[in-house]
Amino acid sequence: MRRSLVLAGAAVTVLGLLTGCSAGEDGADSGKTTLNVAALEGGYGRDMYTQVIQAYETAHPDVDVQLQISKSIEDEITPNMKAGRYPDVVVLGQGRKAALTETLVKDKALEDLTPVLQANVPGESQTVSAKLIDGIIGNLNTNPYGDDKTYLMPMYYAPTGLVYNKGLFEEKGWEVPATWDEMWALGEEAKKEGIALFTYPTAGYLDSFFFALLADVGGEQFYTDVMTYKQGVWQTPQAKQVLDIATKLLSYAAPTTVGYANEQDFTKNQQSILDNKALFMPNGTWIVGEMADAPREDGFAWGLTPLPAVSEGGKRYITTSVESVWVPSAAKNKDAAKDFVAYLYSDAAAKIFAQSNAIQPIKGIVDSLSGENAEFYKVYEDPSVTALVGGFASTAPVPGVDIKATLFDTANSIISGDKTQAQWQTALDDASEKLRQAGG
Amino acid sequence: MATTTSTPPSDISAPARPARRSARRRGDGRFVLACLLPALVLFVLFMVVPTVNVFRMSFYTWSGFSPDMRFVGFDNFTRLFEDAQFVRAFQNTVALLVVVTVVTMGMGLFLAAIMTRQRLRGRNFYRFVLYVPNVLSVVVIAAIFSAIYDQQNGLLNGTLRLLSLDGLQQVWLGNQEIVLWSVAIAMVWQSLGYYMVLYMSSMASIPEELYEASGLDGASPTRQFFSITLPLIWQNLRTTLTFFVMSAVNLSFVLVRAMTGGGPDGSSEVLLSYMYKQAYTNSSYGYGMAIGVVIFAFSFLVSLLVSRATRREPLQF
Repeated sequence: MRRSLVLAGAAVTVLGLLTGCSAGEDGADSGKTTLNVAALEGGYGRDMYTQVIQAYETAHPDVDVQLQISKSIEDEITPNMKAGRYPDVVVLGQGRKAALTETLVKDKALEDLTPVLQANVPGESQTVSAKLIDGIIGNLNTNPYGDDKTYLMPMYYAPTGLVYNKGLFEEKGWEVPATWDEMWALGEEAKKEGIALFTYPTAGYLDSFFFALLADVGGEQFYTDVMTYKQGVWQTPQAKQVLDIATKLLSYAAPTTVGYANEQDFTKNQQSILDNKALFMPNGTWIVGEMADAPREDGFAWGLTPLPAVSEGGKRYITTSVESVWVPSAAKNKDAAKDFVAYLYSDAAAKIFAQSNAIQPIKGIVDSLSGENAEFYKVYEDPSVTALVGGFASTAPVPGVDIKATLFDTANSIISGDKTQAQWQTALDDASEKLRQAGG
Repeated sequence: MATTTSTPPSDISAPARPARRSARRRGDGRFVLACLLPALVLFVLFMVVPTVNVFRMSFYTWSGFSPDMRFVGFDNFTRLFEDAQFVRAFQNTVALLVVVTVVTMGMGLFLAAIMTRQRLRGRNFYRFVLYVPNVLSVVVIAAIFSAIYDQQNGLLNGTLRLLSLDGLQQVWLGNQEIVLWSVAIAMVWQSLGYYMVLYMSSMASIPEELYEASGLDGASPTRQFFSITLPLIWQNLRTTLTFFVMSAVNLSFVLVRAMTGGGPDGSSEVLLSYMYKQAYTNSSYGYGMAIGVVIFAFSFLVSLLVSRATRREPLQF
């Protein structure tokens, strides 16, 4: 008798353990649509999302928006996605280490958001596409398969170029170089003062630099060719010229660059700009907030410039980073999700976002900016400067081939002398060809 | 794995009633089974199934999300051997494994012998200090070593400057020829205390008479170490060696990820960090799992070899 009691007890324990594992099915069924929004907590903070969602819920009482926000949002939503529980709206751009957006693009697992562009912004009379600034839609960043279907809506946009200390240039009476020849001359002059011409936080930050340089050297068609892995594109004279300029610039890099170019120490490379030890580094508008508490030289002021032109009066491109918002095709409430995405472009939402320095690509928003932001977004006013959006086209994954790593990380080896420019070019050609075969 | 032995109840009158006893034994078996079941289910669910899955997935190409998986047989494996970055990661792992194992074991034994045999003053304090790194999280260790290795104001380069040894200053995490050894030093620092304490405890159990007798025969401390201490803790040493192979593979991953991210330009990449990059960053899950299979086979083989090579007749005291 006692034994069977013990057995029963053991059985209950086992059952308890097993049910404990499977608990947690959501059973909210109160007539309200629950919209799950996942967002990356970037430099803009999380308050703006809470406020926008509050505003949306006030206007749509039948929708309950659940926000999941984190600095490593991929790690938090990925396990659920693998188990089939997808968020409805995700605010997460490309170019993150975890590459979740890229993975879903490669998998063709995103919902076509072209209808959102034609839809009216909720509560307003304009369509979403009418509000967006020209040229922000229709590149690989929004239409990743190179057709006219938009899968990734542009959320915030920010120029990424060469960041420098305006104060130092005024103090020394230097001009911000407009051509690479002027750049090299400045490099020599700065060297006499013990200042390095160039540094980068980590090699990954060279993305904005290379994208702009490719377009500066070979024009937009060449840039697209490189991004879409056209056959033999890295063997062309333009590609050679790009690597020539890059290699020469890297020879001017601050000696501390490579040693600090890791996740742990990259802010020390950024600090060298604040300390007047290096002149330029590739970076974006977030640098102001990121280094807000860092000590700096007297008279320091942030400046941002596009890359110098290849020849005098040549066209200059400025890489523009665009965060994305997208809807997974496996999401449950796709219609509600699309309505919410359209709402993100309303005047009310844009105002809330702009207060946190998250600038959306909406017409007329730049005029309302002040401080460093006004300074940074001014680069678009120069008629010789064009915004450049996008990145490498998505292909089916090729094991062992990562062209971004080949293009950017090799910079470390170029500085240290571990690899030559010729090896760099060959490796790029090789990676590009493998990706072309996978994409075609 | 622990084996459970169920001893028959020591019932004196049992032989007189064999039928009753066997029924009782069956009941015992059932009870034991019921007790083991939860652990067994969890073990199968969280250990066996994922491990089998790793092997299965290594024959597919899969991005990690999409429903479409494609069976490619041994393609992932043949590709591995043409992948220069994989070969480099493999070399780095082997180098770390050998160097860190030899140095940690050697230093651990040496320190343990000194602390137990030489009656060092303040040895409890030393033991505490050496053991502390083992308790620290790897992120903290990475931060500490980032401060030590800093090329400008780091502890290491600062000390070298102070000693007027400026020529020895290095960019510890930036020089591609040194970065792996910088990681190795951090690994040794982290694990030294743990192994030292293990060896100390087994050395402490060696009877003092053996040392007294050999001392009377004129054996030096070195001779005592090699002829008494080492043979008597040999079994312990074998076990820790196997442990070490496993933990070194894992530790190198977390440290590399936190300290260098595999850089500069892949020069400190190890197998596990490369597997992670391929499986998650490069959306090549199947390829990553193939690397996982190689790691599994490799550490299995090394453990086996180590265990075979160090097999001795166990000595008793």
